[in-house]
Amino acid sequence: MTKRFCWIAIAAFGLAALAPAAAAQDAGKEILKIALPKPMFVGTPKNIRTPNLETITGKPRGPFMVPVGTALLSLGKPVASSDKEPVIGEIAFVTDGKKSGEDGYYVELGPMLQWVQVDLGKPHELQAIVAWHYHSQARVYRDVVVQVSDDKDFISGVTTVFNNDHDNTAGLGAGKDKEYIETFDGKLFDLKGVKARYVRLYSGGNTSNDMNHYVEVEVYGLPAK
Amino acid sequence: MTNKVFRGLFLCAVVGALLFRFVRLDVRPMHHDEANQAVKFGDLLERGEYRFDPLDHHGPTLYYLTLPAARAAGARSLAGLGEATLRAVPALLGAGLLLLFLLFSGGLAKEAILAAAALAAVSPALTYYSRFYIQETLLVFFLAALLGSGWRYAKRRSLAWAISAGVSAGLMAATKETSLILFAGLAAAFGMLSLVESVRTRTRGVVTAGDAWVWRDTRTKLPPLFHFALFLAAAAATAALFYTSFFQNPQGLADAGRAIGASFTRAGHPGVHAHPWYYYFQILAYSRTAGGPVWSEAFLLFLAAAGGIAALGHDAGRDGSPRFLRFILFFTGVTAAAYSLIPYKTPWNLLPFYLGLVILAGNGAALLLRISRFKLVKVLALAVLVPGFADLALQNRRASIERPADPANPYVYAQTSPDFLRLVEAVERAAAAPEKKDLLIKVIAPPEETWPLPWYLRTFGRVGYWTSPGPALAFTGAGEPAVIISSAAFADEVGAALGDGYDQAFYGLRPEVVLSLFTRRPR
Repeated sequence: MTKRFCWIAIAAFGLAALAPAAAAQDAGKEILKIALPKPMFVGTPKNIRTPNLETITGKPRGPFMVPVGTALLSLGKPVASSDKEPVIGEIAFVTDGKKSGEDGYYVELGPMLQWVQVDLGKPHELQAIVAWHYHSQARVYRDVVVQVSDDKDFISGVTTVFNNDHDNTAGLGAGKDKEYIETFDGKLFDLKGVKARYVRLYSGGNTSNDMNHYVEVEVYGLPAK
Repeated sequence: MTNKVFRGLFLCAVVGALLFRFVRLDVRPMHHDEANQAVKFGDLLERGEYRFDPLDHHGPTLYYLTLPAARAAGARSLAGLGEATLRAVPALLGAGLLLLFLLFSGGLAKEAILAAAALAAVSPALTYYSRFYIQETLLVFFLAALLGSGWRYAKRRSLAWAISAGVSAGLMAATKETSLILFAGLAAAFGMLSLVESVRTRTRGVVTAGDAWVWRDTRTKLPPLFHFALFLAAAAATAALFYTSFFQNPQGLADAGRAIGASFTRAGHPGVHAHPWYYYFQILAYSRTAGGPVWSEAFLLFLAAAGGIAALGHDAGRDGSPRFLRFILFFTGVTAAAYSLIPYKTPWNLLPFYLGLVILAGNGAALLLRISRFKLVKVLALAVLVPGFADLALQNRRASIERPADPANPYVYAQTSPDFLRLVEAVERAAAAPEKKDLLIKVIAPPEETWPLPWYLRTFGRVGYWTSPGPALAFTGAGEPAVIISSAAFADEVGAALGDGYDQAFYGLRPEVVLSLFTRRPR
């Protein structure tokens, strides 16, 4: 009995030892090991502290067609903001018509989600918004949401015209628009003739820091009659 | 000042230096250069391989000194290492620098040693780069060791100090090829000091023994040839030991010579690191960007100027030596001029002559305290010094802990943005995919936009790096990538090739440099 048990045990052990090799042989295959390219070493990269107006990528924006008579409606119009005390600059910079990328031309709002709102005085048929957050440096602003409404508190009658907050961080609903890199030619949002008095732009920090910036926001549309 | 008081205050300075250097060592994202060094060290840690690279990475001491730190932390591979372990090496030497100041006793008055140690402890520049995994702090440490050993030798003429000075010089050479500038600076300072002394001797007729500022005649003689030969032999042997990877790579010696040539080429062709001659002093004197705070070490510069002028006027305190201080003054002046005249500049290169400024500033602070016997004047001096030290300490905290990656911080240079860590988090989230850590990651970016990714992706098994989209997208042998990280310049091309199966987001690598992350959507 003992002898028989020993033979069974030896056979079982032998099979167990041979099993992986047999399986590999049976399949006749093994994992293909492909060497992936290694990173190249390179010295200290360029340090950038000065404004640079060059774009990193992207092509020039093509012509944007609007109805005859479309005009800039936002110049000098009153601006409100979620941050009553900007870190740098003044809220009025948003519609002052100055778009330089240098210091002294942008307003810096605090971190997290912030908004600016332009009051056009009365409802207009709106064609486009062009916004410059900060264009002296290539960066991407997060959770950019652009809404228009006739309600200054944006509670009712709100139309969202752009939303790249894909994970709904801002709580305004998840958007499917793409993020974009800030450039000196600004970002154009197509309003498709929607009628509204107020325009509100949200953002939640950027790729360089957690702050929110606006150099200029321009709203174009047909002047109300 | 009694010895007990001195010891107590000096200990406080050392503890302060340790706190400033070790608290939240991992708060700053890894810099491009740190990641380079870390990955290079990974080869030594994992396979025991190190070959000196004459074109980049500087000398070997950093890697070999990191080995004990990594082993103490229980790391056997790059993946097992953390930022804090790597940075602990320069941090420890940055704090250890204060202990070397004790070697300056007799050259610096007791109060001056204490003030210099306190300044080094709270110095924003020294602290910031002590928390940086590059060679600079090591170079400063070994320079201080050479100065200290040299001074002890000058006082005692002992063989041990000659060898100690030689080993320090060898370690400097094995740390960074720019140590040549420092050796030249030391020689120039020695020559200038001899010249000044000989002029004084001639005008006075004899060197007056017994004056506090004059060494005894025997000590002004040149060292015996035997001692000098031992100094050189110790230096050469130490440097050779490291450059040959402890005799495993004899080629390393020849490469060390080639590295000097490469260094000269870099100095003459600074490329994106060309800065005006006043760059270093601008960093130290005053820096401010819109809406940001003022950064200034003008207080230290003022004290250094006072200490230097005092040295020229033979004022080194009761137990200090004007000759030692004049030597430091000449060395600091010559090296600061040399570094300023070289067009290639990065802010950490200021550290070697900054050490001289700290020593002179220590004498300047002590001078303010000994300027008068009247207590009221001493109280007034303290009223100037204490806020000055406190301001440096506050700036130190701001530079190293609160805003270590803020481009407005003058010590920040081509620093990785904190936003980059969000990219790393997004990749980690993607690792919840079925392949987990074996997911295929493709990085498509030029080398200057690649680092520090290799450090942050060190725990992933399959990461490939390409410098252009064509070959990367054509490479299909390893399967479908779960994550693609691309330079912003390639984002459109990569996005179009990937189609709709991927989510795209942008993350900042450094100011002006944005990376695009594509993550495969779950099916």
